[in-house]
Amino acid sequence: MNLTPYEMVGIGAAVAAILMVGSGHLRVNLTMYALQTVLIAVETGLYAYSKHEDHFYFVAAAIFLVKAYGVPRFLSWIIKHIEVRSDPGTVLPTPLVMHLSIILFGLSYLLACQLPAPGGHVLVLAGASAAISLVFTGLLMMLTRRIALSQIIGFLTMENGIYLFALTQTEGMPMMVEMGILLDVLGGVMIAGLLAFKIKKSFEHIDVTQLTRLRD
Amino acid sequence: MELLLLCLIPIAMAILVFAVEPIKFAGRLVAGAAWVQLAVTLALVHPVLFGWKESLRPAPEFQIDRLAAAFLVLTAVVIACALSHAHVFFLRELNGPHPPGRRHVHVIYACSLLFLVSMSAVYICDSLGYLWIAVEATTLLSAPLVYYSRTKNALEATWKYLIICSVGIAFALLGTIFIFAASQHGAIVGGSLRISDLCAVAPDLEYSLLRLGFIFCFLGYGTKAGMFPLHSWLPDAHSEAPAPGSAMLSGALLNCALFCIWRISQIVVASRHPLLSFDLNVLAGTATVVAAGLFLIRQHGLKRLWAYSSIENVGLMLVAIGLGSGPLFFLQAVNHSLAKVALFLLSGNVIQASGTKALGELTGIMKVAPVWGVLFAMSALAVTGVPPFGAFISEWLILARSVDCRLWWTAILLIVGLSLGFVAVCMHLGRILLGSPKPGVEPFRPLATSVIPSLLVLACLILGLTTSPRFFHVHWASNGFGM
Repeated sequence: MNLTPYEMVGIGAAVAAILMVGSGHLRVNLTMYALQTVLIAVETGLYAYSKHEDHFYFVAAAIFLVKAYGVPRFLSWIIKHIEVRSDPGTVLPTPLVMHLSIILFGLSYLLACQLPAPGGHVLVLAGASAAISLVFTGLLMMLTRRIALSQIIGFLTMENGIYLFALTQTEGMPMMVEMGILLDVLGGVMIAGLLAFKIKKSFEHIDVTQLTRLRD
Repeated sequence: MELLLLCLIPIAMAILVFAVEPIKFAGRLVAGAAWVQLAVTLALVHPVLFGWKESLRPAPEFQIDRLAAAFLVLTAVVIACALSHAHVFFLRELNGPHPPGRRHVHVIYACSLLFLVSMSAVYICDSLGYLWIAVEATTLLSAPLVYYSRTKNALEATWKYLIICSVGIAFALLGTIFIFAASQHGAIVGGSLRISDLCAVAPDLEYSLLRLGFIFCFLGYGTKAGMFPLHSWLPDAHSEAPAPGSAMLSGALLNCALFCIWRISQIVVASRHPLLSFDLNVLAGTATVVAAGLFLIRQHGLKRLWAYSSIENVGLMLVAIGLGSGPLFFLQAVNHSLAKVALFLLSGNVIQASGTKALGELTGIMKVAPVWGVLFAMSALAVTGVPPFGAFISEWLILARSVDCRLWWTAILLIVGLSLGFVAVCMHLGRILLGSPKPGVEPFRPLATSVIPSLLVLACLILGLTTSPRFFHVHWASNGFGM
């Protein structure tokens, strides 16, 4: 099976995400998240090149600057200050989560086959399965980790998957919408990061599974 | 131009408020700005509200129809009332045993105004993309309201609120993309996110994608609305926010999320398979009412009690949306919002005076401050739908309508859920109001803190006495399900 560069980059992002859940070290997670987002920015650039839609170059640049550079820098600053290096995970051991996410990648392919193909678009299957796999991987990361920061990274991975899905299935959302979403995600990460800081300060740990004071 | 007008005052005031150092003055300024904003909103939307115009189009991707206009006004009223009361509330807080930092109160004021802008944006968006952006912005701007007290509990509630709602809303984004993709299959060249366009071509939308999109959006916005079983953030957030903040969350934010579900449902109702919206909304709504009724029985916190009562009302509104009746949805929303805002503000007074939220320790409010006691009882009864308050009529109409549609089980389960809720609320109410008060409970300016709640209770009463059920018969005929 010959893959075009466009498809390879999309699947590369999904593989980077799978490698990301395979490690419990927050630094490794963050690096793999940055790599995955860089690949998504490249994918957007390739899309702009192949479709001759210049405004997507702008979207690609914004993704690179905000999500692949700015957000990881901010999160790594937080990791440095809260002095937490790794995430022990909840129920499932980390390697098992990675294997599970590989199985989910296969499932994503099957799900992508079920989708009606968008008109006039070739070879959309690889992109769609990579996108769905990213969403699954992000969700899995949120479900199986303890540390607040891993939850943020998981959420960002999910959001990357949703963006990739929009890019491959719908030829991208209108640019204003795309920018608004980026702004919201940036705001969300800032607030969540600051809250993680405060959690560390007042609870002296950052394990969100232990946040169980409030109940009926 | 109209858009600028709608957001100029709150945004300007949100920046300006940081420059006003005395909290007393800042509070008055913010409350004044909220009332001016209400006047601006009314001036802008009154042609649509009175039916002189079909809809307003302030900008290409924005549209205000009659229901949206009504909700815009309701939101502005809720925020204006909550902020007017907040002025007295924060004065007491600053003189209380655990005074917050002055900066924190400034942040609350600024965020409330921006929160109002983001909620107004939800009602005027005609694009599903902008709708999503506005809803996510409401989450981000209301998170500081929940985090107000800076305690461990507040931190936990804020974290849960932010993460659960963000993940839920992420699913709604996925749903939005599915609907966008559905429009590209022959319906509209290049696809469209505009709700008005999508409704117009709904029968041509690719159905399997539309169905997926609807389900994802429903779950996503449903999380934000506190639909069972995705409601877990709601009682925590409502209980930890300061009373005016809880009032805004319950009285304005929940309507916003439900309005999104209404918009998406409109597209499905216009498509080839309208029953999808009907089934999903009615089922989720009924389950939410029954679950909330059961949860209401064993509650230990005063504000958590009202939070679950909000969830019960969300269920009722979902049923109204499922029945396809916009006016009924609004009637239930307006009655719930007004009564619930009064109730949360009064609960704030009671909690400040007695220094605890625990239901077991709150007694004898009637003896401490009879004005509060009477208003408290009236607004609690208004929320549970006792005649002659307005909620009785809207609940009655929802039940009548579901019986008309031959939804016997829905009607029976709704009655069971509502009765459970009523009994539970009355039980707790009796304990709070009657009995002998604990020593040291001192009411703070009982009259000044009762002005806004009494106006709201009066409004509920007037709504109950003047709403004519016949008004709704006009809309019953245009029920899109052929029933």
